[in-house]
Amino acid sequence: MNDILGRIFSAGTFQQMLRSATPVALAAIGGSMTEHAGIMNIGMDGMILMGAFFAVLGSFLFQSAMAGLALTLGVGLIVGLFFALLVVKFKSDEFIIGCALNTFALGLTGYLSDSVFGASGAKGNPSLLVVRLPFLRKIPFIGTVLNGQSILVWVTVVLMVIMWVFVYKTPHGFWLRASGEKPETLRTAGISPERMKWIASILCGLFCALAGAYLSLGQLSGTFSKGMSNSRGYIAFACVIFAAAHPGKAYLAALMFGFFDAIGMRLQAYVSSELTQMIPYIITILMMIYVVVRQNNRRRAPRKLQGMAKS
Amino acid sequence: MSERMQQRLRYLAFLVISILLAFGIGAIVLAVTDHEPLAAYKAMFQGAFSAPRHIGDVLEYAMVLALCGLACDLGSRVGIFNVGGEGQLLLGAIVACQVGVWLKGSPTWLVMVLAALAAIVVGGVYAFIPGVLKVKVKVNEVITTIMLNTVAALLCSYLVKGPWQSSSKYVTAGTEKLNAQYWFGGLIKGSKLSTAIFAAAVIAFFIWYVMQRTSRGYEMKLIGQNPRFARFSGLRNDTVVILCMTISGAICGLVGMFRVYGAEHIFKSGISNDYYFEGLMVAMIARYQPLTTILLSLFFAALKIGAEGMQASAGVSNHIYLIIQTIIIFFMAAESGIFTAIENRRMQKAARRAALARREGGTDNE
Repeated sequence: MNDILGRIFSAGTFQQMLRSATPVALAAIGGSMTEHAGIMNIGMDGMILMGAFFAVLGSFLFQSAMAGLALTLGVGLIVGLFFALLVVKFKSDEFIIGCALNTFALGLTGYLSDSVFGASGAKGNPSLLVVRLPFLRKIPFIGTVLNGQSILVWVTVVLMVIMWVFVYKTPHGFWLRASGEKPETLRTAGISPERMKWIASILCGLFCALAGAYLSLGQLSGTFSKGMSNSRGYIAFACVIFAAAHPGKAYLAALMFGFFDAIGMRLQAYVSSELTQMIPYIITILMMIYVVVRQNNRRRAPRKLQGMAKS
Repeated sequence: MSERMQQRLRYLAFLVISILLAFGIGAIVLAVTDHEPLAAYKAMFQGAFSAPRHIGDVLEYAMVLALCGLACDLGSRVGIFNVGGEGQLLLGAIVACQVGVWLKGSPTWLVMVLAALAAIVVGGVYAFIPGVLKVKVKVNEVITTIMLNTVAALLCSYLVKGPWQSSSKYVTAGTEKLNAQYWFGGLIKGSKLSTAIFAAAVIAFFIWYVMQRTSRGYEMKLIGQNPRFARFSGLRNDTVVILCMTISGAICGLVGMFRVYGAEHIFKSGISNDYYFEGLMVAMIARYQPLTTILLSLFFAALKIGAEGMQASAGVSNHIYLIIQTIIIFFMAAESGIFTAIENRRMQKAARRAALARREGGTDNE
């Protein structure tokens, strides 16, 4: 038993947790933007996959990880614009577009990967900077956890704080939230909700591209394999729902998913990793039920009070 | 021409244009990556129709697409969106397969009936849960079914590596192979087509008949389109919605059983590669109309099998068919939006022209 607990709460677990959580957290922060704008975005998986592919493609073509990052952000921008064009401008069903986007990404990246890299896929291209700080190494536990992580792990934390402030402390964030909750009120105030939805979609495209870049250039050294997003988009979506689209909470939710992923790997000798990976999904469903039930109760409460006042 | 007829014509025209455009964009992608587009499309056509066994594979995949699409139609008709078909299919398949493994030696009819029942029950229950959550608690069914899909996939992957793992060393992650006596009979040598397609045809006809030709079907439409009116006219919305969702899941479970007993004869990872999602997209392109869903299933099945043949014969990655398929969906999903945008632009132009004319020729008119 002590052995198991020791394995769960070791530095290795938390190091792995950060690694698993970072791409999910990036996508979830992006997904929080579209969620606030009232768009149910389940196309994040495809966005991540395209992000991963074009990051490697850029890295391969220009032999520079920064070029890969630039290319994938450019593509992320286009994907976000495309998503907004269909969902906001043409008012298509966001759910269908999301589904189709996932499949489209699978097809496009699979096809291009076959054409450019051949059957074996892309390997060993320049990857992103790994941060190793000498003073961190001296701190026992935290040093092992934090040292040797990709620069994107750190960038994610910074971006999380920025988006948190953006959503809750700036006028644009206020309008963004209003564009999903009360679009007509926002329009009356003279601000176009459609514009906020466009911005949210673009942000989501960019964040998912970063998440993909982390997968292909951060975690592995410049590697792409087909379907490598591996349903992380859906996990990110679960985080968004779990966190009620709060960037900070979404980050924590991603850490939770990362944690269960990590202990799944660490405890393979004891429990099947599939079973531990299942836990966060079930928690998300229970969480949703809890949130909805609480909302329903709240809505009912005033009526109860009215009834009491009458009697 | 009646309005309905006009709508149908518009739909058909848009569908044909979308398909042509998608193939056009596909040709550009092919040309950019140094393939001869016409030769590739010819290889694709041959891959689907050049031999009986190819046609058999097309029909088998069309069966899967059509049933998945119809399962989706059934839900969306009453306003609930079953995205969890993938999970229901996987669980139905694995349980049905395991029934066959457990009852080794029992009579064929008993095993097949029990396996089908097990698949129906498992798929149904797995859809019933999000159905009840949607109706009674108002939890968004799209989200819960997506979560349940992943749970089901993880569960299957656990089972085939753990308790239900094959003892054969040639199968790394899969159940035991089914005894040949329990298989659906093959119809065309070398293809995956089996007699399961007859059962599928009966189910498909039944769903079409109920949805389009009975008053039950009309009630379903009413509940989907105007739930309040339906409730006031005495329909039990909640029960119908949950029932439709459960049946939708049961069909998906049964598709899993057909896949195992008809085509693969074992449960392993290839039993479904997001087949339900492809069926769902076919249903969406068909605007959730049962007959159109069935017809389009044939088209998209031919596209997919053809693309596999093309990969083998012409060396073009078969992923091109996913690109073509999703471009069609993008166009079809945006149809009304594109129409409105064109209409708006035309009206704006007309208004501007009228305004200009008024300004320029103002003195003449007044």
